[in-house]
Amino acid sequence: VMVTQFFVFLYCKCLWRSLKFVIRKFTGRCELQRICYNNKHGARRTLKIGMPNSSALSVPPDKVEKTVEDIMTLKKINPDTNPQLGISLQGSLLQIAGYRNLVAEVEKFRREAYDCENVKHEEMLMKLWKELRPDTPLTARISKQWCEIGFQGNDPKTDFRGMGLLGLLNLLYFAEHDKATALQMLNDSLFSFAIVGINITDLAYSLLVGGALKTHLYNVAPEMASLQHFQQTFCYLMQEFHGFWIEEDPSDIMEFNRVRSKFHRKILRQLKNLDMLSVFLIVVNCRTAAPVVERKLNTLLSLKFSRNL
Amino acid sequence: MAAAAAGINKQVAVAVMEPCIRHGRGANAHTVKVLECGVCEDVFSLQGDKVPRLLLCGHTVCHDCLTRLPLHGRAVRCPFDRQVTELGDSGVWGLKKNFALLELLERLQNGASNQSGMADDTLKGMGEVSRPRFPQHQPGPVPGVASTHLFPSVQRIIRCDEDESHTASMYCTVCATHLCAECSQLTHSTRTLAKHRRVPLADKPHEKTLCPQHQVHAIEFVCLEEACQSGALMCCVCKEYGKHQGHKHALLETEANQIRASILDMAHCIRTFTDEVSEYSRKLVGIVQQIEGGEQIVEDGVGMAHTEHVPGTAESARSCVRAYFADLHETLCRQEEMALSVVDAHVRERLIWLRQQQEDMTILLSQVSTACLHCEKTLQQDDCRVVLAKQEISCLLETLQKQQHQFTELADHIQLDAGIPVTFTKVGAVPPSHPRLAGSESINVDSSLFQDNRVHIGPKMEIRVVTLGLDGAGKTTILFKLKQDEFMQPIPTIGFNVETVEYKNLKFTIWDVGGKHKLRPLWKHYYLNTQAVVFVIDSCHRDRLMEAHSELAKLLTEKELRDALLLIFANKQDVPGVVSVEEMTELLSLHKLCCGRSWHIQGCDARSGMGLHEGLDWLSRQLVAAGVLDVA
Repeated sequence: VMVTQFFVFLYCKCLWRSLKFVIRKFTGRCELQRICYNNKHGARRTLKIGMPNSSALSVPPDKVEKTVEDIMTLKKINPDTNPQLGISLQGSLLQIAGYRNLVAEVEKFRREAYDCENVKHEEMLMKLWKELRPDTPLTARISKQWCEIGFQGNDPKTDFRGMGLLGLLNLLYFAEHDKATALQMLNDSLFSFAIVGINITDLAYSLLVGGALKTHLYNVAPEMASLQHFQQTFCYLMQEFHGFWIEEDPSDIMEFNRVRSKFHRKILRQLKNLDMLSVFLIVVNCRTAAPVVERKLNTLLSLKFSRNL
Repeated sequence: MAAAAAGINKQVAVAVMEPCIRHGRGANAHTVKVLECGVCEDVFSLQGDKVPRLLLCGHTVCHDCLTRLPLHGRAVRCPFDRQVTELGDSGVWGLKKNFALLELLERLQNGASNQSGMADDTLKGMGEVSRPRFPQHQPGPVPGVASTHLFPSVQRIIRCDEDESHTASMYCTVCATHLCAECSQLTHSTRTLAKHRRVPLADKPHEKTLCPQHQVHAIEFVCLEEACQSGALMCCVCKEYGKHQGHKHALLETEANQIRASILDMAHCIRTFTDEVSEYSRKLVGIVQQIEGGEQIVEDGVGMAHTEHVPGTAESARSCVRAYFADLHETLCRQEEMALSVVDAHVRERLIWLRQQQEDMTILLSQVSTACLHCEKTLQQDDCRVVLAKQEISCLLETLQKQQHQFTELADHIQLDAGIPVTFTKVGAVPPSHPRLAGSESINVDSSLFQDNRVHIGPKMEIRVVTLGLDGAGKTTILFKLKQDEFMQPIPTIGFNVETVEYKNLKFTIWDVGGKHKLRPLWKHYYLNTQAVVFVIDSCHRDRLMEAHSELAKLLTEKELRDALLLIFANKQDVPGVVSVEEMTELLSLHKLCCGRSWHIQGCDARSGMGLHEGLDWLSRQLVAAGVLDVA
């Protein structure tokens, strides 16, 4: 065992460097170049760049351009002969910085507890109600009606405890931007919409913090990923979960955690696939791709009908 | 008149007080000196500490001394001849009083009180005149009061003044003598004397007492002034010219009659009071009998009377205790047998298995040594033979390797541990391998026995726990804090979480069920076979306490949870200004709510983990028989 450890150590310290040196001499390209040229744009490239150069990656976004120049001069790469490299490197570095920023931003929202005194928070909550229940006015701020859209008690505040404002933001985004699916889920009432939303927010959050979402976000966002990307991911997860739930056909709500962890595993598997773009992208941009949504809804509906029959 | 009244007063007081307060040592000690307790040399009394009681040997000792005698089991030794007297349930109180002695004592005291009554200082100032006549007043002209049982000694015979052997029947008002009919005839036979007015004794006119200051005048008035209370009696001279001049006064006779009337009233009261007292003492006797039990005469159907032993309440209580402990012994014996048989079975199985292994090893060893021998033999043979044996040897080596492989695998698998960790459960802690069956004998433990003392062999004992509570109380947070010792971001639980938490030698399988309204009806699916319920309450939310209370109350009525332990976590105790544990106990009236089951409230903070292990400690103490936890 000691010997193996020693060799691993030796490999990391010397061999890897000498190997790189040899390859560089051979091909005339440095490692970055090799990565940029051999991998197409997206998760493949950014992930590879992110892997060995972890130290260089804590770059604030506004200094990315300068960093790229520094790297070029350091590695003695002529920007004129390799015009593509600069752009690729810059893009990848921006993606990496963007991801880090997104994690910080999401964390900030999560830590911000829902505050009844805060007018903005209250407004958002009211808006959520209006989006989901446009025809029924809310009788009071603290009311049994909240249970209709899937909160646990009379005051939704208590349900936002763990996910903070992030839960509310996600729910609202989902209700606003993917109203059809949201209403569909609400009407199915297979489970409680709001708290499932908060649970899925937790899922998305853990995926983001764990780094599993990198694949997806590097593929989706050409440069820096924004909160919107995260929220779109959330919408996708909600839709997927809804479908997954129907497919799993659990006997009652008590099986939620089993289904949820199975779903989590499935998503993690999907995210391992570096080129995983197709399904994810199509559904995330469903507002522009109406026919796809319709098809999906149809399958969902038919599934539901078959269940009822 | 007044003297008579005072005398009667005194008598009544003595008669009434006698049963209660006379302890025999004070005023009349000189008269009854003979009747002393042989131990303490104190005079016996009719009642109280100094009452004489008989021992079996016939000796009499006062009650007080008897209580001081050392007990030999349930018996005392006579201080005079060391004979043993058995005591009953009531101890010294059960020994019979020496009634002969008591009677004697009573008689002596009565005699003494009659004499000492004469010497009483109330009448000291009355002058010599009235003295000798005093006994004559004693019969008491108050017929109502003079009932025999109140004044047994009052009805006395008055002797004839002429002849001591005669009994007087009349009274000569002129000579002021008591006479019998015969003597009256004799003495008053002359013409002058025959004119004397003689009246029957009952109509004897009362004596006029003379004033001590003015000897010629009789006392006729009573002074009513406060200041003259001590010497209120006066004659006409005292009234007009003497010390009572100008004082308010009344006629002696009216005053005396008034006092008589009040005495009558009092006597009436006293009679009812004595009735009450005697009734009460009768009841006491009855109750003592009921407690002690004894022979009772019962008439059967034919009318034949025969005695029958009636058991006293003491006896029945004793037999109740005996039955309970006999039951307990029996159950314990049964449990012990069961536990021993479980251990025996375990040991047998294990030994059989180990012996089997041992045999296998011996066989293996012999096989290996045979192979070795074979190899050695081959070594010494010539080259041709060695080459020829090559096939055989390789085959042998192969089997050897296979065996070696098998052996290492087996050795990895087996833990060579001679320890047999033993744990005992209390009621409710049923290992999952033995599902609780209704009606199964071993499980149907008497509800009065709080332990089923089931033996559990193995390093860990499994316990099933359900965590319930309102949404947002912190159930899931507590679960994960216990499981991984980390604070999870709390999100609403949909459905349930289940985790096993190992603590000491217990393995808790904790089911955490969501607290959402809709989920609460589903809680009951998790009750089955649950040994403990952990109810979590959010201490911050004062306004939701009542909701928690009603859910808890609902929970406690569940049949499946009847025997389950109840641990209440008052969560979020770290937040300042929350409901304290004591306050919560009060607010939820837990003592009333959880009456008759084992429950515990524990303040905790799921974020830091404060109090959680104390809660588990309590649970394990309840589930596992005491003492074993530390040993195992």
